[in-house]
Amino acid sequence: MMRKREIGKLAGAMSWIVGTICLLPIVYLLILSVAGRWRFPLLLPEGINLRAWSDLLGGDSLGWSLLLSTLLSGSVALVATFGGFIASRYIARSGRSRGLLFLAYLPFAMSPVILGACIHILYITIGLAGSAVGVACAHLTFALGFGVVFFARFWSRERRSLEDLARLLGASRPQLYRMVLLPAARELLLICFMQTFLLSWFQYGLTLLIGAGRVKTLPLLVFMYAGEANVQYAALSGLMLIIPPVLMLWANRRFLYRYM
Amino acid sequence: MISGRMSSNDNGGIERAGFLLFVAVALLPIGASILYAAAYSLGLAGLLGEGFTLSHWSRLGEDFEIVRSFLMSIGVALVAVALSVAVALGLSLALRRPLRSGRLGYTIYLPIALPGTVLAFLFFQILSGAGLLARVAAALGLISDPSQFPGLVNDPYGVGIILAEMFVAVPFFTILFAQLYDAERLPELRGLAESLGAGGVDILRRVVLPLLLRRAFPTIVLSFIGVLGAYEVPLLLGPSAPQMISVLTMRKYARFDLAQKPEAFICAVLYTALALALVALAYSCARRDDDA
Repeated sequence: MMRKREIGKLAGAMSWIVGTICLLPIVYLLILSVAGRWRFPLLLPEGINLRAWSDLLGGDSLGWSLLLSTLLSGSVALVATFGGFIASRYIARSGRSRGLLFLAYLPFAMSPVILGACIHILYITIGLAGSAVGVACAHLTFALGFGVVFFARFWSRERRSLEDLARLLGASRPQLYRMVLLPAARELLLICFMQTFLLSWFQYGLTLLIGAGRVKTLPLLVFMYAGEANVQYAALSGLMLIIPPVLMLWANRRFLYRYM
Repeated sequence: MISGRMSSNDNGGIERAGFLLFVAVALLPIGASILYAAAYSLGLAGLLGEGFTLSHWSRLGEDFEIVRSFLMSIGVALVAVALSVAVALGLSLALRRPLRSGRLGYTIYLPIALPGTVLAFLFFQILSGAGLLARVAAALGLISDPSQFPGLVNDPYGVGIILAEMFVAVPFFTILFAQLYDAERLPELRGLAESLGAGGVDILRRVVLPLLLRRAFPTIVLSFIGVLGAYEVPLLLGPSAPQMISVLTMRKYARFDLAQKPEAFICAVLYTALALALVALAYSCARRDDDA
């Protein structure tokens, strides 16, 4: 009895420590983003400086990058989610689903930077290098592959029976999607949208190469500011970068937990 | 019967369009990039390409930079993933209740939300000579000067990279194992093993760990590939020699010296071959588990 209580206390203490460690990055980024002078070995900054925050709210390059990243990742996620959904149906219903599904895993094998170095010439040739559209297409290479693999298990035998039943009852193809398949996949579509949004949102190497430094998304700004030793701006860019994923993960923890 | 009649050829135009989009945007660029990299490394493409030659590949045996880079990348990825899995197994088993219903069930997700760029910047600020850890060490009286702090950034063994990658991988695997624990009905299996007279350690060794590791194996392999090809974290925290493979590829690719480019593509070909073999392994394991 005593032992159980002690184990419970230990687990509680461990849980508190792990939770604090997990929170540390956000707290530390927040402090760095408002830190004034901060000499070694002080544990806290000597003052507060809100210059980076006021620049962000004033529509500085940080604000534009935030807008660009949001639009870019939102578009990529939208195409990857619905494109992945219907492409995975094609693969599941084709006679060569195993082989085709393996091909869908190909993007998982590629390092974005290494792939970027290899396809750079292709993007230059077709005139998409240095443009936001080119960067979105490059992000889609990974996001669409993820979407296809993500929905592979959705097209089960039961789903096929449901589709057959709907078709037998006279549903047209648009009705089949609108009234049967999309409602059944609503939760998965939401999760896929979030995951592919983050795939694009986090992308650095591929954006740098295909965007040729002209498509300045938030990850590029973080590295640019870090390279300039501009800690305050790098921390604020980093914060902007992690706010959407944190909100998405928290809001949908229940679903993610189930589908991971 | 209905299924056979209606579903034998039920892919319509919209599904075909989705698949063609996938081929055009994902498969073709990847296929083309692998072919281009192979052709470049063999002298069949690029500005300096003067016909088939193995001279670039033969340099692998003379200058060991690429080999060392691969060994470094594999070592770092192995250590980071193995340690992450071990720590995550311990946490997921010890903290099952807080993970399901406590505040930890929310905060554990925070590190997963960190992209490579932020992770690299953050760990640079934490581990460098004048970083957060050094300040704590100074406050505890362990050091008095930043130079006395052990070098965890740009160190030759990639300790900074391993710590940063673990910071994301441990919560990820903890959540995965906690989820698999319920999905594989391990509480019931534990109860059954107990009723058959098995002890706690035996249950852990023969039931819990094999089941969790077997189900998580494809994800572990994909995570290994992720660390192997990581770029942002090694770029900021890794050593200048040997560099992790993505950093080396990018350095050789982006150099003005065109003679270095074939080596960049050799890195790309070797990395792709290794990663493809690992993906095939992960895929076959996932299929085997699905079929079981």
